[in-house]
Amino acid sequence: MLAGMMAVLAAMALSFAPDAFAQAKTLNLSMLAGFKEDVLRANLPDFERRTGIKVAVDAAPLSELYKKQLLSLSTGARHDVLFMDEPWVPALSEFLLPLDERARGIDMQDFIPTTVDAGAYQGRQYTLPVDPNVQILVYRKDLFEQRGLKVPTTWEELLQAAKALHDPAKQQYGIAFTAGSDVQTPLYMTLLMWSYGAELVDARGRAGVNTDAGKKGAEMFLELIKVAPPAVKSFTFADVNKAIQLGQAAMAIQWASGAKPMEDPTRSSVAGKLGYALVPKGTRQAPMRGVWTVAIAKNSPNLEIAWEFAKWLSGREFGLASTRYPSAISAIHCARVSVLSDPGTKQALPYADALLGNLKLAKGRPRLKEYPDIQEHMRVTASRLTAGELSLDAALKEMDAGINKLLGK
Amino acid sequence: MGSVQSRRWFLVPGVIFLLVIDMVPLVYSLGVSLYEWWLVRPRDVRFIGLGNYSALVLDPAFRRSVLVTCILTFGAVVVEFLAGLALALLFAQPFRFLRPMRAVIMMPLFVVPVVGATMWRLILHPELGVLGYYLSLLGFGNPQWLSDPTLAMIALILVDAWRTIPFMFLVIHAGLETLPAELYEAARVDGASWLQAFRYITVPLLAYIMLVAVLIRGMDIFREFDIIFVLTGGGPGTATETIQLLNYRVFGLGHMGQANAIGVITLILVALMCYLLIRAVLRTR
Amino acid sequence: MQTRKILTALGLTPALLWTLFPLYWILTASFKTELSLYARPPQWIFSPILENYKRVLFNIPFFQYLTNSLLIATGTTVGSLVLGTLAAYGFSRTRFWGSGALRFLILVTRMVPRMTLVVPYYLIMLKIGMLDTYTGLIIAYISFAMPFSIWLLIGFFDDVPIEVEEAALVDGCNPIGTLLRVVIPIAAPGLAVAAIFAFLVSWNEFLFALILSGVHSKTLPVVIAGLTTDLGPLYGEMSAAAIMVMLPNVLMTLVLQRYVVKGLTLGAVKG
Repeated sequence: MLAGMMAVLAAMALSFAPDAFAQAKTLNLSMLAGFKEDVLRANLPDFERRTGIKVAVDAAPLSELYKKQLLSLSTGARHDVLFMDEPWVPALSEFLLPLDERARGIDMQDFIPTTVDAGAYQGRQYTLPVDPNVQILVYRKDLFEQRGLKVPTTWEELLQAAKALHDPAKQQYGIAFTAGSDVQTPLYMTLLMWSYGAELVDARGRAGVNTDAGKKGAEMFLELIKVAPPAVKSFTFADVNKAIQLGQAAMAIQWASGAKPMEDPTRSSVAGKLGYALVPKGTRQAPMRGVWTVAIAKNSPNLEIAWEFAKWLSGREFGLASTRYPSAISAIHCARVSVLSDPGTKQALPYADALLGNLKLAKGRPRLKEYPDIQEHMRVTASRLTAGELSLDAALKEMDAGINKLLGK
Repeated sequence: MGSVQSRRWFLVPGVIFLLVIDMVPLVYSLGVSLYEWWLVRPRDVRFIGLGNYSALVLDPAFRRSVLVTCILTFGAVVVEFLAGLALALLFAQPFRFLRPMRAVIMMPLFVVPVVGATMWRLILHPELGVLGYYLSLLGFGNPQWLSDPTLAMIALILVDAWRTIPFMFLVIHAGLETLPAELYEAARVDGASWLQAFRYITVPLLAYIMLVAVLIRGMDIFREFDIIFVLTGGGPGTATETIQLLNYRVFGLGHMGQANAIGVITLILVALMCYLLIRAVLRTR
Repeated sequence: MQTRKILTALGLTPALLWTLFPLYWILTASFKTELSLYARPPQWIFSPILENYKRVLFNIPFFQYLTNSLLIATGTTVGSLVLGTLAAYGFSRTRFWGSGALRFLILVTRMVPRMTLVVPYYLIMLKIGMLDTYTGLIIAYISFAMPFSIWLLIGFFDDVPIEVEEAALVDGCNPIGTLLRVVIPIAAPGLAVAAIFAFLVSWNEFLFALILSGVHSKTLPVVIAGLTTDLGPLYGEMSAAAIMVMLPNVLMTLVLQRYVVKGLTLGAVKG
C-alpha cells in the first residue's frame, strides 16, 4: 500500500519534472501573424540549435495584436517576449523589463539611432529594434520617363505629376493611399500635417492639429484624393499595394515593407518598373517611422533566456537571414546599419537605399501612453472628413478637441 | 405521483451550469462598468458609479452607433424575413425536384462568417471585383459599394442576408410543413384564393414561429460583429459603425469600464426588444 | 400544374444563383493564383493550381488546428446536448412559480455581447488555469449553445404525449429510464437539430477562440482570420481553408438533413 502510494507520488513528480524542466527552456512569444511570422519560423530552428531554447509562437493578426498584448501583460498572463509595434511601447512600458543595463553588453551603435529611440520611453530603453519600417514614395519609373517627368520632391510637385498621370477612363490613377476607415488613414494624414510643420501634440502637451500648418496638410490630403482611385475611401493597406501591382496607380506612399510584393512577378505586373524615393516634403521632410521591436515582460519567469532571444532577434545573424529570406513577400528588415548597407542586402531588397535614407530622416509619433487612443481618434475623424460627414474646419476642431480630451487638457 | 415533482430536479444541472457560467461574468461585467479602468494605467482604477453610462449617453458617437445598429437590424430582419418567407412558400409545393435544392440553399450557413465577408468584399470591390465588371457591362455604372454611406449599409444587409436567409427559410419552411394539408383543401373547396388562404390560414398559424425567427435573428444582428468589421470596418466615416464595432474599438484600447458599460447597455436594449416581442406573441395566442 | 412547376423553377433560379455564386467564387478562388483572381474579364474557366491547398496544409499545422476544432466542437455538442436535454425535459414536464421567468432569463443572458463576456471569461480562466485548454473553450461554447437547445427541445418534449410516459411509468420505469427509453427516441429529431447548431456555433466561433486560446488550443477560425495579413487577405489560401473547414459541416448536415426538417417541424409550432 505504501509502495503503491510512493509509486504514485513518484509518477506525479516525474510527470511534473520534465514539464518544469521544459518550461525553464521554453519561451512564449507574442508574434504578428503572417509573413513576418513565416520568416521568423524559418529561422527559429537556427536559434534553437545555438541556444537550446525552444520558442512557442503565439501569433495574432495585426488588428488584434495590441489588444492581445495589452490584455496579456496587464493580467500577468504568460508571454515572455513580445514582438511589439513602436507606438504601443509607451502604453505597455508599465509592464516591460527595462533593458538599459543589458543593452550595454551588445553593439547598440550598429543600430540606426532613430530605431533605438523607437524603443525608449521617458529616458529608459524598453525594447530593441528588430524590423524598421518607414513610409517611402513608390513611383512608376517607366511612366515618368515616358512623360519626361522628374521625381517629385515636394507635395506640390507630386500633385502636379499625379494630375498629369491621372486618367480615369483608362483606369490609370495618379496616386494610391488610404482615405477611409482603414488604420493607415490617420498615418497618411499625420504625415501630411507633419510635412507642413504641424505636430499632433505640441511642446506644451496640447493638440497642435488645428493650426495653419495642420490645415495645409489636410487640404493637400483632400487634393490628393481627387487624383486617386475612386475607391480610395475604402482602401486598405493591401489595396494600395494592389493598385500599384495591377498597374493602376502611377505612385503610392507606402510602408517599405509593402514594397517587396510589388517586385514579385507572380503578383505584380509592374515588377522591375518601379522606383523608390524619399517621401515628398512640404516645409520639411518627415516620413513616418514604424519600427517593430522586441520586448520582454517584466513578470516573466524566464528573464535570462528571454534576453537571449531578444539579442538574437535584433542581432546581425538573424538580420542577414531575414532580409535575404527567399520569399516574394515582405521580409523582416533589420535595424542594423551594417546589414542594410551590405551589398547582399541591397540585392535582396531593391528599396534598401530608400529605406536607409528615409529612416535617417524618419519622425516618430508622439511617445505617449495615450497615443493609440489619439491615433484611433484621428482615424475616425479623418474618415468622417473624407466621407463628407464633417467640413474641413469642423474636422480639424474635432481632432484637436479629441486629442486634448484624451490628454486631460 | 411523486414522479412529476421529481422531474423538477432534471433542471438542476443545466440551469446551475448556465447560471454560473452566464451570471458570474455578467455580474463581473456590471461591476467593472461602474469603474474607470484603463488597462494601460492599472493603478488608476477609480469607482465612478454611473459615470461611464452618462458619458456614453452624452456621447454623439455612441448615440449615432445606436441609430446605425437599429437601422441595420431593422433592414436586415425585414429583408431576411421576406426572402425566407418567399423561399419557404416556394418550397411548400409538392415538387420532387425541390428536395435536393434544400441542402443547397442551406450552404451559406456553413461558411465561416469571416471568409464569407472577405470574399464578398472582393466581389464588391469596384476595381477588382466581379460584380462591378458585370454591372458596368450592363450599363449600371460602377457603384462604389464600400465608399458610399448608403451603399455600404445596403452591402452589409446583402452580405448578412446571403448568410442567414437559409436560417429564416429553414424555420418557416419547417413550420409550413406541419400545417395540415386538409385546411388548405377545405379552403379551396370553399372557393378561397391562394392569397386568402395565406392570410387566414398560414399567417395566424405560423405567427408564433415567424415572430420567434424574427426575434432570434434581430437579437443576433444587433450584436453582429464579424461581417461588419471585415466588410466596412465601420466606414465610410461612421456610416456603419454599430454599437458592437464601437465596443470593439473601446475594448481594443483597454478601456474596460467603458467597454463593459457598452455591453450592459446592449444587453438592456436587446432584452427590452426580446421582452416586447415575446409579449406581442403571447398576446396573439 | 405544369405552369406552376415552371414558375417555381423560375422563382428558384435567382435564389440558387444568389446562394451559389459566392460559394462558387470561393471554390474557384481556392484553385487560382491571386493575379488571376482579379482578371478582367473574370475567369470562369481556368487551369486550377493546387498551391493554395498545399500551402494551407503544410505551411501551418493545419491538422493540429483541425483536430483542436473537431475535439472542441464535439465536446461542445455532447455537453450542451446532455445538459440541455435534462434542463429542457425538466422545464417541459414541470411548471412552478418562476419557471417562465427562469426560461426568459436563460435566453436573455445569452444575449450579452461576446465582447463584454470575453474579459471576465479570460480573467476567470486565467485564475483557474484553463487558458489555452480545450476544456475552457468547451465550457464557454456550451453556454452559448445551450439556451437555444433548451428552448428548442422544450418544444419537442412538449410534443411527446404525457400518456406515453405515464404508460411507461406504470410499467415500472423510473423517470430517468422514461426519459432515455421513451421520450428521447420520439424527440430524436430535435436532438439532431440541437446537435447541428451546437456544432456550428463552436466550429465557427472566432472571438473567444482568439482570446482564450494560445499555442495549444488554437482553432480553425482563428487561423483563417490570420490569413488576413498585413498585405491583405490571402484569398487563395483563405478560400482553400474555408472549403476544407466547410466539409465536416456539410457532411454532418447531409447525414442529419432529413431529421433537421422533421426536427424543426415538430418543435417549432409549440414552445
